[in-house]
Order: sequence, then structure tokens, then C-alpha cells
Amino acid sequence: MGDRLTQLQDAVDQLATQFISCFYYLAHHHDLESFGPADKIPDLKSGQPKEVDSFAPEIFQAGQLELARDLITKEQQIEYLISSLPGLDNSQRDQEQSIRDLEEELKVAEGQRLEAVKEKDEVLARLDQVLRGIRRH
Amino acid sequence: MANLEDGEGKTNAAMMPDPPPFWKSFTPDNLARFDTLKQEFADQHGADIDTIVRIPDISEDLVYLQPPAEPIDSKYRLFDEPQTLAEELQTLEAGGIDRLGPLEETDKDGKHIDRAFELKRLAKSMLLNFLELMGIMSNDPAQGQEKVADLKTLLLNFHHVLNEYRPHQAREQLIQLMQDQLDAKRAETAAIRGVVDKAKRALEGLGSMEAPAPPAPSSGISRYGGSNSADRNSETWPGAKGLVAPPGMVNGTLDARHEGSYWGRENISWACVDGDFA
Repeated sequence: MGDRLTQLQDAVDQLATQFISCFYYLAHHHDLESFGPADKIPDLKSGQPKEVDSFAPEIFQAGQLELARDLITKEQQIEYLISSLPGLDNSQRDQEQSIRDLEEELKVAEGQRLEAVKEKDEVLARLDQVLRGIRRH
Repeated sequence: MANLEDGEGKTNAAMMPDPPPFWKSFTPDNLARFDTLKQEFADQHGADIDTIVRIPDISEDLVYLQPPAEPIDSKYRLFDEPQTLAEELQTLEAGGIDRLGPLEETDKDGKHIDRAFELKRLAKSMLLNFLELMGIMSNDPAQGQEKVADLKTLLLNFHHVLNEYRPHQAREQLIQLMQDQLDAKRAETAAIRGVVDKAKRALEGLGSMEAPAPPAPSSGISRYGGSNSADRNSETWPGAKGLVAPPGMVNGTLDARHEGSYWGRENISWACVDGDFA
């Protein structure tokens, strides 16, 4: 799981992979038809590897449907990822401004934190004193 | 492993390559000399010694003690691949790919909505082109090559637009990170303040309970067994003078029954304080 952009990049690569597998499926499992009277489907000898492994029409169509659905799902994923890219509304100038602002705020917050730590140490010292007083008792 | 014929004792010698020849330069003597030179250079230029990376015109035998100079034309080779010092995104044109979208705006105020829109368009085009490719392939596979090239251009363009977006995302992440830091700091400060307040309240509470025995009138002293005990009391509670006397202490007189319950309460309140600071 990377950032949004990397996810998007991966999704697009997956889409390309899906294109290839769709192509492969269609090219290897279609049925054989003759377009004209001159065409004929050659009979393969038994030992020869088959170029096309035809599926029964309903199985083939079911496969097609599934692949098409997957493509659409991936496409929707990609669009969703695009819409959720960070900072679509900010221009570079906005970003630089907010970085500077945050830097200032961080400095202030750090100052306050140090102050609080100092106060804590003081109270601790006072408490320590009181405790010592009691133990001597 | 390689030199089995050399006998077993020597097999290890060939397993690692020799160290590079310049290791001999790093003698303690040379290191000390280099440090002195660096210090001198820093003093001359009024710079902090930690910021100095290289001293120009160093003597021959110390040359390996500092990193080499940057390549002059800012290009170098790594594993036989040309590299540049400044990593820049190669433009589509330089990669020999047609640009489909508009040229990326260099305008700093440009919003990135357009870029997202661009990406969506490219993604849709990809799907459409794939469909077209399938159609073409089923009719005339010879024509498919062109569509495949189109798809490739689309994919490369998509990746390019995406990579152009990376600096933007990096800034966005930096903002997020800083915001988180700020929140954490504020939370920490608030937590410290909370504990401090609690401790202060506890201290005040204690103060009101552990009032000292003010210098006791003579009638009370006899019960304590003399002036020693009065001294002891005032020594124990130097900071608590003038605070409210604990219940049961009237005019510095503490009867034994009350004293027992007073110390019992005392213990409980200390347990509370300990709990707060645990």
C-alpha cells in the first residue's frame, strides 16, 4: 500500500495487464467460423498442438462478461483514486504558504511545550521538597 | 572457494576483493592533519567546521580524505548508465512520445483539478481504445498495430501526468506531517499542563491539611513532652507556616486520638498524590 499516486500507478498497470489477459482469452478461446464459402476450418492432426481451444458458447460468453466487468471495476477504481488525489484544490503557492504557516505554529507550540516542561520541573521540585520534609519527620 | 588448489588455509583470501587502494591514506596521522587543515580553512572563511565538505587545493596524499568534487558538467555514469545531478522528469517529447494533454502549466497558482480531469480523460480513452482494438482485431488483425501504438501512447501519457503530480503530492504530505507534529506537540503540552495543575492542587490540598503546629502554648507542650517536639514540628513544616491547622488541632494541642486519625488521612492523601504521578 503506497500513497495515492502509487496506488493509481499500480491500478493503471493492472488495467494494462487486464487488457492483455482479455486479449489472450478472446484470441485463444473463441469459436471457429467461416466467413465465406472459400474459407474452411482445417482439421488438425491428433498430435499437433491446437492453436485455438474453443470454449462452448455459453462458457465463452460468461468469461467475456466477467472480464468486461473486471475492466469496468478497475476503471472505476482508477477514477475514484484520481478523485481522491491529495491537494487537488491547492495550488503550489497555497501549499508553500501553509508550509510556512505551519512552521511558525510549530515554533510557537514548541515554545509553549518547553514552558510547560519547565513548569512541570518546578512543581516536581516543590513536591520533592515537601516529600523530603515528610520523610525527615 | 575459488582457489581450492591453493590449500585450505588460503581459500578465504579470494572470497573478498581487496580493499580499494586508498585505505592506506586513512592513517591517524593523516586524519589529524586533515582535521587541522579543515579547521584552518573554516577559520579563514569564517564558516562552521561542520558545513565544510571539501577543502580546495589539498595536498596529494590527503586527497582521498575528502569526497571528490562534483562533476563539472553535472553528468556522471553509474553502472554505465548516464545520470544527472539534478533528477528531472524526462519530458514526453524527449522520450519520443506524443503528448496528448496540454503542456503542464508552470503557473504556481494553477489548481490541480485540471490535472485530475486530464487523468480521467486518459483513463476513459484507454478503455475506449481497448474496445476499438478488440473490434479491429476481430475483423482485420493486420490493422491492430496502430491501435496498440495508440494504447501505448495513452498509457505513457497517463504515467507522465501522474509523475508530474508527484512533487505536488510530496508537498501535500509534508503539510500533513507538519500538521500531525503540531497536533502532537499541542497534545503533549496540554497533557503536561494537566498534570502540573493536578500536582499543584494536590500540593495545595496537602498544605491545608499539614499545617504546622504553631509555637504551642505552654499547656500543649507538656503533652508533647517538652519543647523538643515543638522544635521538631516547626522544622518539619517550614513551608506550611500560617496554613490552616488540621482538624483536631486546637491551639496547637493535639489529642492522641485525633492525632492517629490525622496521620491516617495524611497517608491516604499521599497515596493520591503518588497515584497522580505514577
